[in-house]
Amino acid sequence: MTFLSLPFFCFFPITALGYFCLPRRVKNLWLLLASWFFYLWARPVYLSLLLFVIAASYLTGRLLAGRRKKGVLALCLAVLGVLLFLFKYVNFALSLAGQALGLLGLTVSMPVLELVLPVGISFYLFQAMGYVIDVYRGKAEAQRDFLRYALFLSFFPQVVSGPIARADQLLPQFDRPHPFQWDAFRAGLFRFLWGAFKKMVLADQLAVLVNTVFAAPESYGAVQLAGAAVAFSLQIYCDFSAYSDMALGTAGAMGFTLMENFRTPYFSRSIAEFWRRWHISLSSWFRDYLYIPLGGSRRGTARKYVNVLIVFAVSGLWHGAAMTFVVWGVLNGLYQVAGALTQPLRDRAWAALHVSPEGKVRRLVQVGCTFVLATIAWVFFKASTLEGALAVLGGILRGPLWVPLSMGLNRWDLLAVAAGLLLLLLVDLRSVNHSLTGGYLALPRPGRWAVLWVLLFACLIFGSYGTGYDAQSFLYGFSF
Amino acid sequence: MESHPNPAPAAKRPRRRRELLFAIAFLLVTALLLHFAAAVLRPAQTSYGSTWSAFLAEPEDSLDVIYLGSSFAYCDINPSIVYEHSGLTGYVMGGSEQPLSITYWYLREILRTQSPEAVVLEATSLYFKRYQNYTQTNIVPMPFSLNKLGAVFTAAEPELRLGLLFDLYFYHGRWQELGRADVKKALFPHQWDEKKGFTPMNEVLEGVGEAPYVADRQVSGEDYANNLFWLEKVIGLCREKDIRLILTVNPSYTRCTPEAYASLAEDVHAIEPSVEFYDWSAMFEEIGLVPTLHLYDGGHLNQDGAAVFSAWLGGFLTGELGLTPRAQTAENTAAWQSCVAWWEDYLAQ
Repeated sequence: MTFLSLPFFCFFPITALGYFCLPRRVKNLWLLLASWFFYLWARPVYLSLLLFVIAASYLTGRLLAGRRKKGVLALCLAVLGVLLFLFKYVNFALSLAGQALGLLGLTVSMPVLELVLPVGISFYLFQAMGYVIDVYRGKAEAQRDFLRYALFLSFFPQVVSGPIARADQLLPQFDRPHPFQWDAFRAGLFRFLWGAFKKMVLADQLAVLVNTVFAAPESYGAVQLAGAAVAFSLQIYCDFSAYSDMALGTAGAMGFTLMENFRTPYFSRSIAEFWRRWHISLSSWFRDYLYIPLGGSRRGTARKYVNVLIVFAVSGLWHGAAMTFVVWGVLNGLYQVAGALTQPLRDRAWAALHVSPEGKVRRLVQVGCTFVLATIAWVFFKASTLEGALAVLGGILRGPLWVPLSMGLNRWDLLAVAAGLLLLLLVDLRSVNHSLTGGYLALPRPGRWAVLWVLLFACLIFGSYGTGYDAQSFLYGFSF
Repeated sequence: MESHPNPAPAAKRPRRRRELLFAIAFLLVTALLLHFAAAVLRPAQTSYGSTWSAFLAEPEDSLDVIYLGSSFAYCDINPSIVYEHSGLTGYVMGGSEQPLSITYWYLREILRTQSPEAVVLEATSLYFKRYQNYTQTNIVPMPFSLNKLGAVFTAAEPELRLGLLFDLYFYHGRWQELGRADVKKALFPHQWDEKKGFTPMNEVLEGVGEAPYVADRQVSGEDYANNLFWLEKVIGLCREKDIRLILTVNPSYTRCTPEAYASLAEDVHAIEPSVEFYDWSAMFEEIGLVPTLHLYDGGHLNQDGAAVFSAWLGGFLTGELGLTPRAQTAENTAAWQSCVAWWEDYLAQ
């Protein structure tokens, strides 16, 4: 079941109504059953793996309660890691092994295992790993209540695509009563609608252009390829932040607060800042559970850079089992290393130009450069092969300026997308210093109604759904 | 003055009630806006059957005969010509490749505003599959009602149901081609026209009319039984409303053998012996039809053929079957006479 589907539009009102109406002692049970039903909708077999992960991490938590048993922790992390490897990376590893043997002159036909990736595995495994590590570190209390812990890993707004919750942040919320609160409810629904707008009107329409151009980069000119690369940067932001908005909105409507996943990342002034504002729940997970255990910045500058590269290579792999993702991750790591190394030089250059460090010019240039660097990296994320990514980047540098060939959208589609992007820009600019939902709730009633109607009808008229449209799956959805 | 962040429950209750009322009002206005947006974006259906917006512009209880069926109904029968030669008012409410399941729901919906003396049902749909190719075109133009829901849930492919219930799903992409006429159609949904559900075909396709193609239509046992099931429901509805049901096979050069039609008649009479069944498929000469002039594509008549056949049909309905025109208001009589004149001009061109 995905957020933008008819089953969900039936599921959510029933779940929310049941949650608010049922006595407090059965609320969590109701949410858990609803969450499992939501998850079962994808494919019944997936649930067994989720249940195994719940049981394994719950037991590990119990074993670690008040005791620092490193072996238990290591065993649990190894089991969870092996599961992730088996379901997500085994074919990639086999193909790499085949290529390595080929380089040694041995021709071996490696098998391709027909494994179906369980929905949300990368998210709930990381959440479970985070929990057992937190219990080991004494940061989180080991849960006694199995039902509450099962709900922590299965909670339907975030089980498929995050945000990856932390035990100390989400678990206590299952103890609170969460009575129906009108403002929280409508703020949640508003946020869901805003997410739907970004997904249906922007991300999925941009996807048409991006998919068309990336499918045959050699057929297009430099401007078109650059346009498609920029369009993908916007598409993936709209797509994933839309999912997060819908997850936070759904949870928020029922009184739960999930971790914010995006803070206008394309307004970042450096790649390091970008990663503090993009997919925050994952970035902070890597910081707390990988970067810091590797030594972080405590073991000298060189080791810090190595750690950054390791973290981003792993982050790349987390996003997908292919060399394109590894390159994307490493490139982001290299940007940060290069950024840190050249910082003094750049500061001197700005000073020589008499440009104020916090002035608009410097900010704009930095934001622009960060966007360009992120966009170049996204090309590797989007392309299905390294050759494809290089063909896009090569075409931007060397190709003809423009080739008269359809990019999949007509001028009316482009106009609608441009108008939508302008709205997104205005909203993001405002959201730097203001709460989006707070601003919505502060509007007078006619204003609130008008906002809802604009978003709703934009989705229903300009959105990508129904006959003649190719509604896209969430990029961070069922394949993670 | 001291503020109260948590007002007392008694003070909260009226606020909650007020908010609930506003929420209901919001949902109602949203539903109205959605309905209007769907009406604007839904394409107009003014020919090729299912012309509900024009049908609903007919005065209530003014029609003597309702013509049902598939394209063999809306291409072959011109109600204005029938009227000219018999005084019988009528309307073709067929649809492209319309299965009998949809026809049944059409008839139920028609009978909400009309009380015809007879229903003339073109019988070729007894050979159709459960789902043909035009479910969407047949059901979308129906006014929203329990009968439309019946059609959606009993006569439409499951994968089409979402779009049939919420037709922005099919048509929201039309925003790029909207014009004033689309807004007008939404503001004034009942648009009267002279065609009365008839679709004129204005040519004879090359090679048509030289020799008939006679071959029995293939239909699975399951589909045929399903068609007879829905026919039985049509028969039951007509019986309940005291309407004469007349089954016909219209003149066609793409037809089954006489034996197949005889077998069909037997099956129909096994359900209800009093249903009248007429096989006119080969009666070109008797009706006055010239195949090389009056056929469109071999299967259907063109507008001139429809004029000849409709004139003959008018005589048949009043002469042979004894149908009698009901009294009409002066205004409606004038409207029908204007239709007759309009068609005379049209066909003379």
